[in-house]
Amino acid sequence: MRRVPGRRFALGLAALLVVAVAAGVLAGPSFLRPAEVCAALAGRGDPSAIAIVWSLRLPRIALGLLVGGVLAVSGASLQVLVRNPLADPYLLGLSGGAGLGAVLAITAGVASPWAVPAAAFGGALLAMVSVYRLAAVAGGALDGRVLVLAGVVVGAFAGALVSGILAVTDAQGARSAMLWLMGGLGGAGWGTVAALAVYAAPALAVLVAESRALNLLSLGEEPAQHLGTDVVRTKRHVFVAASLLTAAAVASAGIIGFVGLVVPHAIRILRGHDNRALLPAAFVAGGSLLVLADTGARTIFAPVELPVGVVTAIIGVPVFAFLLRRWTARSSS
Amino acid sequence: MAARRLAVCRWYSLLVLIAPLAGCARQPPRHGPSYVDDWGRTVVLSAPARRIVSLSPSTTEIVFALGLGGRLAGRTRWCDYPPAVRDVADVGDGLAPNVEAIAARRPDLVLLYASPANRPAARRLEALGIATAALALDRAEDVGRAARLIGALAGAERVADSLVAAFDSARAAAAREAAPPTGRRPRLYVHVWTDPPVTVGRGSYLAEILRDAGAENLFDDVTTSSATISLESLARRDPDAIVVLTSDTLGAPPPLGERPPWRAVRAVREGRFLLLDGSLYGRPSPRMPLAVRDLAARLRRLAVR
Amino acid sequence: MDGPLFELTDATVRYAPGVAPSLDGAGFAVAPGECVALVGPNGAGKTTALRALLGLVRLERGAALVQGRPVASWTRDALAREVGVVVQREEPVFPITVEAAVAMGRYPHLGRWRLFARADRDAVDRAMALADVAALRERWVGTLSGGEWQRVRVARALAQEPHALVLDEPTASLDLRHEMELFELIATLVRERRLAAIVVSHHLNLAARFADRLVLLHQGRVVATGAPEGVLETGRLQGVFGWPVALQRLPDGTVQLYPERRAATPGDRR
Repeated sequence: MRRVPGRRFALGLAALLVVAVAAGVLAGPSFLRPAEVCAALAGRGDPSAIAIVWSLRLPRIALGLLVGGVLAVSGASLQVLVRNPLADPYLLGLSGGAGLGAVLAITAGVASPWAVPAAAFGGALLAMVSVYRLAAVAGGALDGRVLVLAGVVVGAFAGALVSGILAVTDAQGARSAMLWLMGGLGGAGWGTVAALAVYAAPALAVLVAESRALNLLSLGEEPAQHLGTDVVRTKRHVFVAASLLTAAAVASAGIIGFVGLVVPHAIRILRGHDNRALLPAAFVAGGSLLVLADTGARTIFAPVELPVGVVTAIIGVPVFAFLLRRWTARSSS
Repeated sequence: MAARRLAVCRWYSLLVLIAPLAGCARQPPRHGPSYVDDWGRTVVLSAPARRIVSLSPSTTEIVFALGLGGRLAGRTRWCDYPPAVRDVADVGDGLAPNVEAIAARRPDLVLLYASPANRPAARRLEALGIATAALALDRAEDVGRAARLIGALAGAERVADSLVAAFDSARAAAAREAAPPTGRRPRLYVHVWTDPPVTVGRGSYLAEILRDAGAENLFDDVTTSSATISLESLARRDPDAIVVLTSDTLGAPPPLGERPPWRAVRAVREGRFLLLDGSLYGRPSPRMPLAVRDLAARLRRLAVR
Repeated sequence: MDGPLFELTDATVRYAPGVAPSLDGAGFAVAPGECVALVGPNGAGKTTALRALLGLVRLERGAALVQGRPVASWTRDALAREVGVVVQREEPVFPITVEAAVAMGRYPHLGRWRLFARADRDAVDRAMALADVAALRERWVGTLSGGEWQRVRVARALAQEPHALVLDEPTASLDLRHEMELFELIATLVRERRLAAIVVSHHLNLAARFADRLVLLHQGRVVATGAPEGVLETGRLQGVFGWPVALQRLPDGTVQLYPERRAATPGDRR
């Protein structure tokens, strides 16, 4: 499969973005007609339609673009950091930590709308620090394999605690906690979007700045060093930035899988591995795909809403299988 | 030699006498009342139940409604009606119950909620020689069936029959009186959970109460008993009021107004909440006609306002 | 620039406390316009000496200088602009093309943000031509043979346009032609562009033909250093390598050695 030339690729991405946003704005379980939507966008017409478009659909699209983009970028970076193409943003125990925080907040019955996201973020940060500490025991340099093991351990520990809490809590709380964990963009307002943007921007900037260093790291640590990378510092920056991005995404929208795993690979296959192009492209593609998946999640079985993580998994698995075939064709000698 | 043979005969005859008794200790002869429970098993007792442990608030209410409150030897911590239930021993949870606590009450019949999570407990109780009956109490129609089963196993069939008849007629009467005079049924959204938004569908008990009380469940097109819906549908369908059970919140309407996306729903903006008593509305019980009348009255007040 | 480009003085490296040192008071210098070959048996400390010179291991004692300054005072970036390194083994985790791989040799000059310019692309093309991998431009690195991949990495080091080349077993997977071509290339670069080159090699004969100086290491110590003729001496080689060797001279004056076979006994094949 030949690589897609640069300009065509950028156009394709832009088209994907436009299609996703348009679908998100026009489609939905309330089945507004396009004319109604356009009027609502301009602030005219039925107040209920205006409320739906401005308070429900647009924030949801914005959040979907941010969360999907952030997960894709984080996944791409972590795949290089741990030198494992199967890495996803949740590899390093962050989902376990976030889940634990969220479940604690839900079962404690705290009413404030910020309680659960804040607890999830805090839990993810705690997991990040724990993984860092565990991995740093091996002398300060973050060995990729040790990172993965530490992530598995921390994630398993948090998961066990979550199971324990769900077992002793009442059925209502347990079900709600599990629904939250499955991920969803539904409860989002512009406040959540703004908070995520504020957290994500510096972390994204750090990762884009380290793009070339990431390219070198994918060759190996020694070659990277010989080509000018301060490996220890770069790995630390990438680890912290990618973890912060994932923590913010999970706090905003629960655990949405496959985006962070599949989107980076799709871009690599279509456009190549250069992170300078890969990271921004992954951001746009990941965001667009998540918005499309979310639109499907709330429209297919209307009025019932599927957890968006289910839709990304259903799409993600066959896409991943397809990518795997291309991958092995290029890797075998 | 002869003495030896005599001794052997004596031991042998002793063995022959003891053996059947040993078999009996595990399975007492059951020739008493029997009934098929909701797991399809035939429950057989040796005599009408005298010490009953009820593991769900619905069955507890039915036991009392049948006048058998005196025979209740144990109830769950969630059983709160009638007030007399406080004098009955608390054996803990009804789902994944504490088998030892139940056995300590020496019951001859245990009423379980028919959930797969209760099968291991049922097996363990049966192994201890305690009869168990599983009841699927999810909807209004299950109340009558449960009453008949309990009545049959407790030797109170006639009481059960009259209870069922009274229940049916009271329910019909309440529904008749609740029919809205103007023909337009109030549309209500049942709020079970906030994030994500969860509501009840057609297959739920609460939806049946709503229907009997002359109202319409906003999400009646959802066939399952509960489902996650999208806020957009809720905003579009624009309910007249939002119904919340006290058992789902801390006694006050949930602060949905604080969440910007929820403010797209008119009922949230205008604060139109109906807070319903979780004990009365939250589970199938013989008090359903009461619930229907209560809700109908509150809806009339809502319409007048 | 005058003075040696690389200088290792009395260097001792111990990988873990209490074990025998991998380098024990070793020292040598490499000047521009010089090709030095590090030779010795397995475990003699050749790779460790390279790593010490490049600042990748901590010296327990002694000094490692690059262009007169301690290597620890160099940033990785600056060092990469001076020295092109080809390591023994490398395995990229994602599929990349040969062209992309060689182009990464320009990173030390580009920094984080500067885009590829005409000059950079020309440098990449020249490097690929010198290493004879221009024909492999569009191939995926994972589909190359061991030797092809090694030449691609040499091209990458050349694309750095360094003042020095450090190569660790660069001919391990190369066939005869490519082996000779690589060493000829190094010799040309050393002579014409006054690069300093350090080559670690097991091929004593190739080293003897192409290097200006040999540094013979044994158990972490420098046993002999100097012109190949002076270093390659039967008694010394036998002591270091533990195998009897004989020497012969080629027409152009280079000394070559050949290992002797054990005395034939009845029943041997030949």
